[in-house]
Amino acid sequence: MDTTGAGALVKALEDVGCEVIFGMPGGAILPAYDPLLDSVKIRHVLVRHEQGAGHAAQGYAQATGRVGVCMATSGPGATNLVTPLADAYMDSVPIVAITGQVSRGVIGTDAFQEADIRSITLPITKHSYQVHDPADIPRVIAEAFALAASGRPGPVLVDLPKDVLAAATTYTPPKLTTPSRPVLPPVQLRNAAQLIGSSKRPVFYVGGGVIRSGAAQELRELAERTGIPVVTTLMARGAFPDSHRLHLGMPGMHGTVPAVAALQRADLLIAVGTRFDDRVTGSLPDFAPHAAVVHADIDPAEISKNRKADVGIVGDCRDVLAALSAVVTGTADLTEWWHYLGGLRATYPLGYDWPPDGALAPQYVVERLSTLAGPEAIYTAGVGQHQMWAAQYVKYERPGSFINSGGAGTMGFAVPAAMGAQTGAPDRTVWAIDGDGCFQMTNQELATCAAEGIPIKVAIINNGNLGMVRQWQTLFYDGRYSNTGLGTHQRHPDFVKLADALGCVGLRCTTQSEVDGTILEAMEVRDRPVVVDFVVGQDAQVWPMVAAGTGNDEIMAARGIRPLFDEEE
Amino acid sequence: MTRHSLSLLLRNEPGALARIVVLFSSRGVDVESLSLGPAEPHGGHSALSRLDVVVGLQPGRTAAQLVKQLGRIVDVKSVVDRTHDEALELGA
Repeated sequence: MDTTGAGALVKALEDVGCEVIFGMPGGAILPAYDPLLDSVKIRHVLVRHEQGAGHAAQGYAQATGRVGVCMATSGPGATNLVTPLADAYMDSVPIVAITGQVSRGVIGTDAFQEADIRSITLPITKHSYQVHDPADIPRVIAEAFALAASGRPGPVLVDLPKDVLAAATTYTPPKLTTPSRPVLPPVQLRNAAQLIGSSKRPVFYVGGGVIRSGAAQELRELAERTGIPVVTTLMARGAFPDSHRLHLGMPGMHGTVPAVAALQRADLLIAVGTRFDDRVTGSLPDFAPHAAVVHADIDPAEISKNRKADVGIVGDCRDVLAALSAVVTGTADLTEWWHYLGGLRATYPLGYDWPPDGALAPQYVVERLSTLAGPEAIYTAGVGQHQMWAAQYVKYERPGSFINSGGAGTMGFAVPAAMGAQTGAPDRTVWAIDGDGCFQMTNQELATCAAEGIPIKVAIINNGNLGMVRQWQTLFYDGRYSNTGLGTHQRHPDFVKLADALGCVGLRCTTQSEVDGTILEAMEVRDRPVVVDFVVGQDAQVWPMVAAGTGNDEIMAARGIRPLFDEEE
Repeated sequence: MTRHSLSLLLRNEPGALARIVVLFSSRGVDVESLSLGPAEPHGGHSALSRLDVVVGLQPGRTAAQLVKQLGRIVDVKSVVDRTHDEALELGA
C-alpha cells in the first residue's frame, strides 16, 4: 500500500499525459484535490461553474487534438456537467469527466449531494464507470482516455465514491494501448473509386470527422488530384482552406448558394466524416435527389442512418482518403459542372446590407475580425446569429481554428471553450465571437481567465436581442417579438463595466469607423482578457437561409430572393 | 411497427443493461419482451450475460441500424438479429 485512491488517480492522469484539468472541488471529490496540489505535471484551472469546466475541456480538446479533462464533485457539481457532456457527445469531442460520488456505503440512500450521475448521463456518454476498488483506478483512467479518443471520439464519465478515493491502495501503472483502426474494405473502396471516376457532377461533402481524424492534408491531396468541388459543414470549417479555388463554402440551412446547389444538383456525394444532419439536408426526401452516395465514417451506425449509402466505407477518414487517392485514377470531364457552379459563385456571393438606420452591420465586424486576427487565430462561437456569421465571414484556412457547438447548439459555449482553447494553445490569439444572450450564460469564466492569466478576447455581437429567435419571429411569426428583447442596448448589463468588474479590459464600439481601431486595441492587450461590446443593429438577419423543414431547393439567397437553379441549367 | 428478435452478448458489468435499455428509449424503440441471464449456465459468476429482446421499430427505422447502434456500446460484445431464425422455427 503506497498511496490512496486519490493518489492513484492523480498519478494515472499524469501517466496518460493529462496536462490540465478544468474543475471545481467539493465534498465528495475533496480527497482528489489533495495530491493534485503536489502534481508538477498537471495544471488545475479553477472554474467558477462546472459547466465552464466541461466546455473548457471541449475547447482544449479541439484546439490540441488531445483528450480534455474536467472534474467536479458529486450531486450538483456533476449535474452541471450534463450540458457539456451532451454537447461533446453530439460533436464527437474527446473529453473525460471525473466526478466525486458519495461513499459506497450511502449510495442509494439520498445522501447529501448524491446524484446518480452515471444513470443521468447514460444517453450522452460513450461509456461510463463507477469505481468500487481503488486498485482499479489506474486501469479505468487509461481505458477512459483510450475510449474517449479512439474510434468516433466522445465523452467518458468516471464516477469515484469518496471512500474509494480515500482508501489505501498500491499503484499499478496502467497499460497504455494503441487503439486499432478498422481495416478498409477493398471492394467498397474500388466501388467508390469507380463512382468517383465516372460521375459528372461529384462533390465532397466534408464533415467534422475530417478534423477529428487529422485528414485535412489527405482531403486536399485527393481534391486537388480530382478537381472535385468541396463543401465543408459547420463542424468542418477549416478542414479545407476557404481560399482554395475548389471550395464552395458551407452547405446547409445558412450555407452558401453554390454549396447548397452543388449538393442538390450533384450526381455523386462523397460524404466523409459527416452524418447528414438535418441542418445540412433540410427535408430529407428533397435532399440531393439525383446523387449516388459514397459515405465514409468511423462509426458504422452513421452509414445509411439518414440517407441510404450506395457505397458505405467504415474507416478512419484519414485512412479512407489516403486509400481513395491510391485507387482513383481519374475523373470524368467536370468542365460543365464547374461552369454551372462558377456561375452561381459569381451570381450569389455571400453578402449583406448595412442597416438603414445607420447601425453597425454585425457581418462587417466579423469580417474585419477575420482580416485583422487572421487564419492563425482560433475562433470560438456560441449559438445563434453570431455563430452563423462567424461560420460565414471568418476565413478559415486550417483545421481546429473554429470551435463551436454544432449538434447540441449550446448557448454560452464560446467563453469557456475559448478559455480551454487558449490554455491548450497559449501562443495563439483566441477570439470568442459571442452573442449578448450567450455571453450572459457563462461570462463568469472571465473571472477564471483573469485570475489564471488566460488572456482570451471576446467580441460580443450585441444586437440587444436573442437574435436568431427574433429573426424567426420576423419571418415566421409576423414580427411578434415574444421575449427576445434582452435590454442589452439599454445597458442591462453594461458589458464594459461588467468586463472591468471581472478583471478584464472592456471596450465598446458602435460605428463602422471605430471597428478596426477597437480590434487592434484589443489585440494589443496581452496580460488580461478583453471584452469588446460591438453594438450592432437588431434587424440584421442571417442569409442565405433554407427554412426549417423545407427542401434545400427552397434556399433564399436573401429575403425574397430565390435562386432558380433549374432555369440556370 | 415491425417486430424483431435480437440476441446480445454483453459484459456482466454494472450499468450494462441500463445503457441498452436507455438506448431503446432514447431511439424510440418499443420493447415487447426482454430476458437476461448468465451466458454460461453452469453456476458461479458469469463474465458474460445473454440478453434476448423482442423490439418494435417505428416505420422507417431498420433493425440493421439498431444493431449497429447497440454494437457501439462498449459492454456489448455481439448483437444478432434472430428475426429470421424465429420465423423458420415457427415454420413461417
